[in-house]
Amino acid sequence: MSLKGKIALVTGGSRGIGQAITLKLASEGADVIINCLRKRKAAEETAERAREMGVKAHAIRANLAEPEKIEEMFADIKDKFGRLDILVNNAASGIARTAMELEYDAWDWTMNVNARGALLCSQQAAKLMTNGGVIVNISSLGSKLVTPVYTAVGVSKAALEALTRYLAVELAVKNIRVNAVSAAAVETETVKLYTSDPNLPRSIVTTTLAGRMVQPEDIANAVAFLCSDRAEMIRGQIVVVDGGVSLTLMSGIQSKGGGEVSG
Amino acid sequence: MSVSPSVEETVKKIVMRIVRKKEDEYSPNATFQDMKADSLDIVQILVAVEDTYDIEIPDEELEGVTDMESFVAVIERIVAEKG
Repeated sequence: MSLKGKIALVTGGSRGIGQAITLKLASEGADVIINCLRKRKAAEETAERAREMGVKAHAIRANLAEPEKIEEMFADIKDKFGRLDILVNNAASGIARTAMELEYDAWDWTMNVNARGALLCSQQAAKLMTNGGVIVNISSLGSKLVTPVYTAVGVSKAALEALTRYLAVELAVKNIRVNAVSAAAVETETVKLYTSDPNLPRSIVTTTLAGRMVQPEDIANAVAFLCSDRAEMIRGQIVVVDGGVSLTLMSGIQSKGGGEVSG
Repeated sequence: MSVSPSVEETVKKIVMRIVRKKEDEYSPNATFQDMKADSLDIVQILVAVEDTYDIEIPDEELEGVTDMESFVAVIERIVAEKG
């Protein structure tokens, strides 16, 4: 599953899931470009870990909520690398609020980073994918399932999944494959923001069929596969990496009417 | 010849724009909490200030920040160190 010689950009690639994706792609031989919002030092440290694997690595700070910053980032990539083969739209931001508490500027920020940012990065990336390429969008189960206070991010991920399908069709003519990976709650610092339990939600741990939480490396493995030629016939799909959590959500619900269904 | 706005003036404009308040409501003694800035507002403020001055504000530098005056002082120091 070698990605040797490929050039990959991972947005939000300096920590958490993005860092795991960056390092996985590097371990498969890809040169990696790491975008970060603020923490250039963390991005540089991730770049250094990638270089230790024998690939080129470059960190770029850019706020993906700002279209002109995205253009500057891709101008930098064109200048330093000349082309791009892989784009992973991983960067995400948001705030923990219910729908009724959500202020419009928080909504705009979340949609701008998570959905519009992915669109603009894909537009720019497609121009640099002169030999074809791969785009992988990172989504989450919150696009379909309701998680308390996940409103803005969940809606943005739904948009990202729809975008995945449109891009898959539109960019096929340029030999660019587009898919998404949808994750359950992954064991990162971010997931702690969405639970009052500092030790992570026990229900998630006990309901995965694997008996453990999804780790960033589980997402990275799926992304690396989708980036490889072996995934050539997978187009516009949302690959769920959740340890089976979404299969068992109904297990605890008891029927009041002895199982009868009316409709 | 135009004079560059002070760090305080620039930070004030950024903060008040993001928390959606009028600039005359700004007070050096106001905390982020006083201005009803939530965690997302603070991230946006930090990104905007960092982009404006091409600096990085380490989290540990923010630990002693209690109000706008101390926030501005941190930015002034980092900008001065950058030269």
